[in-house]
Amino acid sequence: MTRKALISVSLVAALGIILVLGYLAGRTFRDPARAISVAGMTVLEPASPLPEFRLHDQNNQVFDLGRLQGKWSFVFFGYTHCPDICPTTLVVLRDAQKIAGGKEQGIQYIFVSVDPDRDNAATLKNYLPYFHPEFIGATGGQGELMRLTRALGAYYESGEARSGNYEVHHSAAIFLIDPDARLRALFAGPHDAARLAQGLQRLKGD
Amino acid sequence: MAHTMRFAVGVMLMLTSLFAVADSAIVVRDAWVREAPPGAPVLAAYFTLENPGSNADKLVAILCPDFNKIEIHATEIRTGVARMVALDALPVPPHAAVKLAPGGHHLMLHNPRRALAAGMNVKLELRFDSGARLNVLAPVRRAESGAVHHH
Repeated sequence: MTRKALISVSLVAALGIILVLGYLAGRTFRDPARAISVAGMTVLEPASPLPEFRLHDQNNQVFDLGRLQGKWSFVFFGYTHCPDICPTTLVVLRDAQKIAGGKEQGIQYIFVSVDPDRDNAATLKNYLPYFHPEFIGATGGQGELMRLTRALGAYYESGEARSGNYEVHHSAAIFLIDPDARLRALFAGPHDAARLAQGLQRLKGD
Repeated sequence: MAHTMRFAVGVMLMLTSLFAVADSAIVVRDAWVREAPPGAPVLAAYFTLENPGSNADKLVAILCPDFNKIEIHATEIRTGVARMVALDALPVPPHAAVKLAPGGHHLMLHNPRRALAAGMNVKLELRFDSGARLNVLAPVRRAESGAVHHH
């Protein structure tokens, strides 16, 4: 092969590689699942509708499926006898509220207590404003809590009592419900306020 | 002569190590207590234990007159579920630092005997397996950022 021919072949090969890479890059860009990737966020495609459930909020108002409609909702499960992960997560949600916005932007933040034996409306009304006055607290009977947690793929279970106290093991994830009351995404811990806000922003832009 | 020397050096080394055990080299840094939200009967304390020495040690007990009970806890997230695990002791390996931080290891402080608000201080006595005791003054603070440190 002459020197000239060799150069031509190399050029054609290089052009081919560039075209293939360009095509792949373009495809990646158009793929919505890839376009909205935020670290720690799993997007459900399609979003998963939630069943009817009936809890009560900190003002003793019914908190049901209807309360999730027409807004984006960040939901976290926890309990007030939790010294570390729950207040830590609520501070992250408070920071996310500062970035993403709240009621006025059609976004609500919900703390569901999975410890109804110790947490009730009064407990939550006392506890939550410390983090943010707009935060919604909700709890209810075990059956109703199960209905909601099961639909979200969340988990909770009371641990063994030790000297009069018990822990409640619970999902560490933050769940994002869309305005059609469907589970749209979940965020795995460790949580980061900027990532929550970014994830929501990308989904709203869809 | 060489024998005596070696013996003397040996004795000195032994004394040095005894001294190190009795007077632990462990240092406590950045101690703080997270202010409890209203009504929450449990608080968490965080700090870093630094062991510049060459002896392993363990934090085995924490005394504080402000609480009914104090436990060493690890927050573990396994298959997406957060659990608090009570530990009998917290090992502090030689030449290492062990960090207690939100979302990880912490002291669980049960049922405060006085109302503790941000700006107040809590006196903790840390007791180690080696017999060493350290007194720590931990300020009560509101957690201002949600930053979670994992280790």
